[in-house]
Amino acid sequence: MNQAMRPSRKSFAMYMLPGFFLYTFIVFVPIVLAFYYGFFDWSGGTKMTFIGFDNFTALLKDSVFIQSFYNNIYLTALCVIGQVGIAFVLALMLHSKRVKLKSLHRTMSYFPSVLSAVVIGFIWTMLYDYNYGLINIILKQIGWGQWAQPWLNNESLSLTLVAIPLIWQYIGYYMIIILSALSAVDQQVLEMAEIDGANSWKKAVHITLPLIKNTLAVCVTLSIAGTMKVFDHIYVMTGGGPGTSSNVMALNAYKTSFLTYKMGYGSAMSIGVLILSLVVIVGTRWIMGSFTKEREVR
Amino acid sequence: MARAYARGRFMSGLAPNLILLVFSISCIFPAVWLFYSSLKGKSEFYANPISLPHSPSVDQYVAIFTKSKILLWMWNTTRNSVLSLLIILVLGFIIGYFLSRFRFKGRNALYNYYLLGMLVPIHALMVPMYVQFTQTGMSDKWFTLILPYAAFGLPIAIFLVDSYVRSIPIEVEEAACIDGCSFHRTLFSIVLPICRPILFTVGIIQFFVVWNEFTFALILNSKDSLMTVPVGITLFKGQFVTDYPKMMASMLIAIFPAMILYFAFSKQIIKGMVAGSVKG
Repeated sequence: MNQAMRPSRKSFAMYMLPGFFLYTFIVFVPIVLAFYYGFFDWSGGTKMTFIGFDNFTALLKDSVFIQSFYNNIYLTALCVIGQVGIAFVLALMLHSKRVKLKSLHRTMSYFPSVLSAVVIGFIWTMLYDYNYGLINIILKQIGWGQWAQPWLNNESLSLTLVAIPLIWQYIGYYMIIILSALSAVDQQVLEMAEIDGANSWKKAVHITLPLIKNTLAVCVTLSIAGTMKVFDHIYVMTGGGPGTSSNVMALNAYKTSFLTYKMGYGSAMSIGVLILSLVVIVGTRWIMGSFTKEREVR
Repeated sequence: MARAYARGRFMSGLAPNLILLVFSISCIFPAVWLFYSSLKGKSEFYANPISLPHSPSVDQYVAIFTKSKILLWMWNTTRNSVLSLLIILVLGFIIGYFLSRFRFKGRNALYNYYLLGMLVPIHALMVPMYVQFTQTGMSDKWFTLILPYAAFGLPIAIFLVDSYVRSIPIEVEEAACIDGCSFHRTLFSIVLPICRPILFTVGIIQFFVVWNEFTFALILNSKDSLMTVPVGITLFKGQFVTDYPKMMASMLIAIFPAMILYFAFSKQIIKGMVAGSVKG
């Protein structure tokens, strides 16, 4: 760019600095502080005792924290398969010529993605309710009343049940992303395959899937990043319970810090959450990146 | 043979239509269920939670609007959304433009520094931010939530504006410069209008993020009078635990603005959000 068109040093700084300070103060400083507080035994008051790495070593032995991490991974696996998998199938259907009301389907299925997670959580709490929940009412109507139960109080099911609204809410979102990739696929390729006798299953797996793999990789990455930070839904639906069965990392960090006021330990846990989330997210980005690149070369 | 053919026709024709219809209906059913159930009385709802109301009444709404602070919470949420969006758009536009057009020392480092914000899980920052805000006396203020909303909205705005400006030919600014247009005027009266589509996308994405945000609103504010809608309605859970129709009315009120906005501009919203997320 021409020198004459550059702003002076002073106005350059005037433009750049407000955003830089705001961002640094809100995003960067807390990360540094979390490291610092992690070295103290501190319950939020004026008394802070330096205890070195004790919080961090305790964290590695904290079975509740480790369970919450595994719960995150389990939820992430369910959500990736559910969200992206179902979205892919629905997008294929919606893309086919025989399906009517295309734009209505798009509008309706995307709708839950713009709703508040808190409201989604409440709605599903009601659906799972023992006395007035839709699920138990339907079970009773079709004569399977013995299966009716207070769903979210079931320790072995709670985590899976919590995943269902998460999956349901974002299917439409991924469906639309995949749909836009599908419409970029050359129709002639599919017509040729049809002439060669490929059925719709073969077309989907051997032609469409490889052609939109980059978009699917983006969807998987988004879905993983989204599920690793899930908080609102679970806070509303189960609060992590019963017991710690549906606890996730974010909720566990919240409860440790704000309900039991272990601020020092909570900070160490924040660092744990930060590192584990980054490892999972960056790791999948890397795997997805090398996966799609490798295929492109071939 | 004929039967197999008929079955094939069914599978490829009717089944997808049916499956999609069931799914689409499931997506708007909650809103519909909230609406008609909120018109029922308590006892009527408990007698049959899925039937339509016999004699619809707006009693629940009257009670919520008169006895709770939901209007105030909506005002707070609206103010937070509008002001943080304004900051995100102005600062995101400026920083995105500068990073895109100017080559200076540390430019790439700065760019990556901003991108870092998209990776940081906000729940890892709950404790330090809480401490930071209480110690500097910035919690429980009218502007408290605007700061994190703006800061965490910046990275995506910078990222999208940066790549958008790259597609604008530099000749646009050169022509303006030759005509004697100052840098500031070029930026705001020439480049800004060109960037309108991408700023619209950023605005849409961030509006729904901020409107529905829960975590910061939960930890950084404890004042009833500054509460936002998502946090406010969690209070109802304890209050109306036995009064489902009232809960449902309050939730419908909570989602109403986003719902109206969505159905009025669904095409642009879907397009903008998808474009933004894929590039991000």
